[in-house]
Amino acid sequence: MAAGGTGGNSGKTYSFKVVLLGEGCVGKTSLVLRYCENKFNDKHITTLQASFLTKKLNITGKRVNLAIWDTAGQERFHALGPIYYRDSNGAILVYDITDEDSFQKVKNWVKELRKMLGNDICLCIVGNKIDLDKDRHVSVEEAESYAESVGAKHYHTSAKLNKGIEELFLDLCKRMMDTAQAEERMKGNGASQSASSRRGVQIVDDEPQATPAGGCCSSG
Amino acid sequence: MLTLAEQCLERAKSFIGKSTDAPDLLAPVSCSPGQSESHQTVVLPVAISANTVSPPGTPLDTVRKAASPTKISHRRVLSDGSGELSPFLPPQVFQRLQTVKSKDISKKELTPIEQASRLNQKLKANYEARLARLTPDQVYQKTSLTLSLQRQMMENLIIAKARQDALQRKMEERRLRLQEEANRRFAASGAVTAEEQEQRTLYTNVLEYEQDHEWPKLWKANIKENPDNLTLVSHLVSNLLRFQLIFVMCSLFYISDQLLSLCLLSFECLNTASYKDLCLAGIEEAFFTPLWSALVALFRKVNTEREQAFETSMKLYHDASPGDVGVPLKLFPQDPDMQGSYPYESAVQELKLLVKDYCPQKKLECIVRTLRLICACAEEYRCLHEVDSSPRTAAIGADDLLPILSFVALQCQCPQLVSECAALEEFIHEGYLIGEEGYCLTSMQSALAYVESLHTGGAHQSVDMFI
Repeated sequence: MAAGGTGGNSGKTYSFKVVLLGEGCVGKTSLVLRYCENKFNDKHITTLQASFLTKKLNITGKRVNLAIWDTAGQERFHALGPIYYRDSNGAILVYDITDEDSFQKVKNWVKELRKMLGNDICLCIVGNKIDLDKDRHVSVEEAESYAESVGAKHYHTSAKLNKGIEELFLDLCKRMMDTAQAEERMKGNGASQSASSRRGVQIVDDEPQATPAGGCCSSG
Repeated sequence: MLTLAEQCLERAKSFIGKSTDAPDLLAPVSCSPGQSESHQTVVLPVAISANTVSPPGTPLDTVRKAASPTKISHRRVLSDGSGELSPFLPPQVFQRLQTVKSKDISKKELTPIEQASRLNQKLKANYEARLARLTPDQVYQKTSLTLSLQRQMMENLIIAKARQDALQRKMEERRLRLQEEANRRFAASGAVTAEEQEQRTLYTNVLEYEQDHEWPKLWKANIKENPDNLTLVSHLVSNLLRFQLIFVMCSLFYISDQLLSLCLLSFECLNTASYKDLCLAGIEEAFFTPLWSALVALFRKVNTEREQAFETSMKLYHDASPGDVGVPLKLFPQDPDMQGSYPYESAVQELKLLVKDYCPQKKLECIVRTLRLICACAEEYRCLHEVDSSPRTAAIGADDLLPILSFVALQCQCPQLVSECAALEEFIHEGYLIGEEGYCLTSMQSALAYVESLHTGGAHQSVDMFI
């Protein structure tokens, strides 16, 4: 029922919510439309599907229900941004590679999402319109290094040429599954044990993490 | 089960009756501390968008958020002994809601047990890393690493348990102390009536709440300083009303959820998605139909300012065209010879029906239908503009949808929509929140907030549409 992968242990179905953010005219809607054209071969089409799309996927034997929420790019609708992206497992932040300004907007969104949702949300930064590469105003290196610096993954797409879209969604789903599984493992470990009351210092293992492979266990 | 439902209904009715008559102090105390504390955190998500117009303080905006305790360490079981049917919300409700929101926990204070389990998680990761680094001839170390891990993890848990118990004891001691204080205050001669006893319990809760929260003190000081300021008092009352509302809602939510689990427990065969939907719809219908009017009355009181803003915008824009609220020209017919009708009229007519239903699920369906009608109309209008329009379906993204929805909301001329949607947000069932119903409701609320803002700065805001 809740977002973030619930269900029985064996035949589990993951349920993920993904918000689509980005300025108007960067091609958010086209991306989604392309994505449904590719996969939506059954005739279960609602008229709302350019704004709200659900997809049932099967990834590495696991069932995934994907709900994609489009948001309005116009600033005046941003007041209620938080109610759109709450409980999201993933966010796709789209910019237009020919429009520097739209990339700045993506940075603002990243800041807000990280602040409000922390690191639990999988971020995808998407440079759309790579068919217009000759007019590119956002360099590949800049975009990719920025994405890396905020723990996001960067993708290049062209809704027009139908490039990179399938990969984007598939990759995002896999990442969201990893996150959900990690969360489950964590919950499973929280079992409390009955014991006599005893006070003391809790054990924190502060082993230096940056030990490269091959090094022996030298503790600092 | 029917009798139970009846009892629940009676109970809920009496809550609502009480709260619409006069707000009493019951509310702030009866909400578990975690819940009311997050009142402050709830403000945040809305307030962060600086140009918001809706009163950011409304805790209703995200009661499900509110229900996830901010300071879990302060959570405790009400220990006043009178367990059965107390008007105080059972802690399970919050626990249940909490699990849903478990991802929030990372940003909040953890209980000792939770801290320990995180610690152990780290220990285990380090252990695994170490194991992986062992060379084949170091295999003998594995056992010792494993044993040491088990020992460390166990210790952590034992310590955490002790801390948790100590915390619990401390809270109970405090409660006892406050209870005595209440007894002193209401020192009655002779036997204590049930009513007096209730009053004492209530007072103890107030004291307890005040220990955890700053705001009652601030209010008291403020009122003392400005004894002539009457608006201050009315503000206080409306603040208390908000808490009362949260409480009523949580109770309703809890009761209807209990009924659902009862239903599914007694008839295991019903535990499939579609049967669950049916059960929920049935329960909701029986439950909310007699209550909704009273409930909305309460929501309207709390949302008066928002409704007023909506009404002002509505009057200001009563003959606006879709273009005035930012709908692209290609998405509505320009020639006004539509004989008494106006663009998106079918969607407006549909939305007007919303207030006539009394069950949240039906209202949500009404909103979904409204949005679908908008998409259908938009397609039709687009075809009027494009000569070679191949019939593409559903090309309306949120960039177009929200301006149109704002126009439809304006034309609907029903400020009550604001409160209806605020109420719906609280009663929409978790399972629907992520789905189409949730999306449509969210869009509707976004459009309503925009309409509310129109009369202040919206007029020049809408210009950005044409740049």
